[in-house]
Amino acid sequence: MIDKLVTEENITSNGFSNTNNLPPASSFPPPIKKKRNLPGTPGMYHTSNSYPEAEVIALSPKTLMATNRFMCEICGKGFQRDQNLQLHRRGHNLPWKLKQRTSKEVRKRVYVCPEKSCVHNHPSRALGDLTGIKKHFCRKHGEKKWKCAKCSKCYAVQSDWKAHSKTCGTREYKCDCGTIFSRRDSFITHRAFCDALAEETARVTAASHFNNVTPSGSVGNINYHFVGPPVLAGPTMAHHFSNSSSIFKPILTNPENHLDPTQQDGLSLWTSSNNNSNGNVNNNELRDLHQLGHQNHPSHSEYQPNWGVFGVKNTSDHDPNVSAPPSLLSTLNNLPQTHASASMSATALLQKAAQMGSTSSATTNHTSFLGSFGVNSSNNYNITTDTVATHVQDENKFCGLYGTSPMMNSYRGSELENDFSSLDEMYPPSKRRHIHVEEHHGGQTRDFLGVGIQPISHPRIRFDHV
Amino acid sequence: MERTTHLSPYTSHHQTTTKHHPYSDSGGTETCPDDDKWASKLLRECAQAISDKDSGKINHLLWMLNELSSPYGDCDQKLAYYFLQALFCKATESGQRCYKTLVSVADKSHCFDSARKLILKFQEVSPWTTFGHVASNGAILEAFDGETNLHIIDISNTLCTQWPTLLEALATRTDETPSLKLTVVVTAAMVRSVMKEITQRMEKFARLMGVPFTFNVINGSNKPLGKFTKEELGVQDDEAIAVNCIGALRRVEVEERGDVIRLFRSLNPRVVTIVEEEADFTSSRSDFVKCFDECLRYYTLYFEMLDESFTPTSNERLMLERECSRSIVRVLSCDDKHNIGYGDCERREKGNQWCERLNELFSHVGFSDDVVDDVKALLKRYRTGWSLAIDQTDPNSNSNSGSGILLAWKDEPVVWASSWKP
Repeated sequence: MIDKLVTEENITSNGFSNTNNLPPASSFPPPIKKKRNLPGTPGMYHTSNSYPEAEVIALSPKTLMATNRFMCEICGKGFQRDQNLQLHRRGHNLPWKLKQRTSKEVRKRVYVCPEKSCVHNHPSRALGDLTGIKKHFCRKHGEKKWKCAKCSKCYAVQSDWKAHSKTCGTREYKCDCGTIFSRRDSFITHRAFCDALAEETARVTAASHFNNVTPSGSVGNINYHFVGPPVLAGPTMAHHFSNSSSIFKPILTNPENHLDPTQQDGLSLWTSSNNNSNGNVNNNELRDLHQLGHQNHPSHSEYQPNWGVFGVKNTSDHDPNVSAPPSLLSTLNNLPQTHASASMSATALLQKAAQMGSTSSATTNHTSFLGSFGVNSSNNYNITTDTVATHVQDENKFCGLYGTSPMMNSYRGSELENDFSSLDEMYPPSKRRHIHVEEHHGGQTRDFLGVGIQPISHPRIRFDHV
Repeated sequence: MERTTHLSPYTSHHQTTTKHHPYSDSGGTETCPDDDKWASKLLRECAQAISDKDSGKINHLLWMLNELSSPYGDCDQKLAYYFLQALFCKATESGQRCYKTLVSVADKSHCFDSARKLILKFQEVSPWTTFGHVASNGAILEAFDGETNLHIIDISNTLCTQWPTLLEALATRTDETPSLKLTVVVTAAMVRSVMKEITQRMEKFARLMGVPFTFNVINGSNKPLGKFTKEELGVQDDEAIAVNCIGALRRVEVEERGDVIRLFRSLNPRVVTIVEEEADFTSSRSDFVKCFDECLRYYTLYFEMLDESFTPTSNERLMLERECSRSIVRVLSCDDKHNIGYGDCERREKGNQWCERLNELFSHVGFSDDVVDDVKALLKRYRTGWSLAIDQTDPNSNSNSGSGILLAWKDEPVVWASSWKP
């Protein structure tokens, strides 16, 4: 039932205040949409096919919504249901003949929606159940008279409203930092400012969640009711996106390195993974991102935490990593968004990476890197030869922001797929990072692409010391 | 919709302006019982003495208040403490210096984390700010319906806590997510210092939501707000503009408020949302005692609200109270002519006063039923004591053609929200 609700709510959201008016045509599902059965009533949507001789009844809206469709011919009393009418007729002590129904077999009746523009108006899409068509008509074309007191969401069918009211407000929202909210609005606001925002967990359902999100016609009425597991923290598209944004984080900062996030390593990670960029195009961009992170894993396990961060985020605010990104990012955002000064081919980058010794910290470089990433200008990255964000589905918005995000899609490694499930462990305690530091001699931060390596001092960077 | 109810247990009166005992059944008030309202008595006496320039009495009362007051005590003690400070400054004409000191002290201990924590906690326990946010967002979204190129001019000091829910609504409301440009004009110094972090968070969040987003911060303390130009605000012709003004009009010097409204009008916005606290420190500027009375009334409400909303040991509440102390000193003991800085005025006006100003260039748009329902739903999520009232200036009109909606704490109107169009 919930599924059906989703669909229909989707469709009716635009017309929630309509009273039997035509909802905008665009809101209707195209006829090609696959037919779904109501759970519990198999074959309903195929009724006309199942009952080829079915009598197609087209009731007017008034008749449809009339509560007394079944009239007793003797006294004229109206009943909502045929069974009730029959029961009543018995009381009239009719002679046997008249007791029977009309002689002919009761034909299967299918009903069409009186709304002309509705898909169910056509006999081939008629519904076999009168109650069903009534509810359908109400939901899609009816006035939403029932309103949830808690969240102001409107319903046209009373039973829908009741069902919603039972669960409204019982849902809990959990932020990545561990705080739980019972109110969605405070959850959203918290999320926007939470430190944990910098490190998003990737949930596999994120993309699918967003697909299911119901556009709501009114403010504040978005109901996450339909979203699956309540553990989803907020708009999972958020996760979705933040995964991409958190790509920057590991590159930019490795707090344990205390101001020398080994950019070189970051870069080399990128560039080395460059070669493997012809990984399978994953439909789930999230997975890409995971793998992106994991890509780096084998060569630089110390980075795993950073990368893994957006794989899974179970660490809370106290994680030292957390504080770093905001400050860095803030500096990044402050700087003008310049494109990366060079568009380099993959080979050139590789060479550069190989040459890179210890270089200066490159916060500016971060910026330039980020700058090019920032808005729609990732065209500087000719890193990947092949992939563009082709598989990005309704991550179209994301794409819109980042143009083609070759970075994202190019690094698809298969090595760490299994790690995806164990991201918890992937976020290692700090000591691993320390190891990392030693190994790489604390190379200075550098421009991620190896461009514009300049010394930079950024007093604003604060790293929590591990 | 709802009218101010007179059946509520909270009120047995009709006047709201001079009351500082908003509820007469003292059974429900643990911290500020009625029979113990010594603070307001003393404070008023002192204010009167200052107005009368009765120095003997002034000293005596100041001394008494000093003995009895404490910023860590109950409501009365706190009010006594903070108002004492203002009275002292007034009596010694040291208001400006005191204010500057208070501001610099606050500045030093101020950072993004503390500010964020403060405002989020406040929003969690009290709808004081979220009321205005929900109403404004609702009005803005409705005014922007169908537009794709949105530009909101946000003149407020709420650290952009209003916008995440709006971004989320934009992201999920339609298939065609419009692009949003947000220009924030910041006047309060303390807010300015954290805007970098805010910028970063907002941009990230907008990315998360998948809303094409541009964020600009404008320093509003360099010159009077009314002197800004369309270009400086980054307003372009192809944009649908909304002006969102939360608690900001009161920070404009009284004489310049007309200029500001003219500026708004010149931007040709689809909607202007104004949210202000319901108190009048303006019309009584020249009458110290009257102004003092109103101040005391308003801040008593506020302190009591804080007291009942936060836990007793809450640090956030303490910080909010300290913020009040700066405002109180500013209003009561700083001569407006001194021009301490742009955007620091703090002289509030009531809804109907703002309406008079706005009616010249704008016409009021009532909040739609949906928005009102959203606000009601919001209030339900908080503790009891909060209610919604439609502005009573036009009692003959039906629910929403009044000039705004009011958030009421124990039936006392405290925050006023309205929306306007040219």
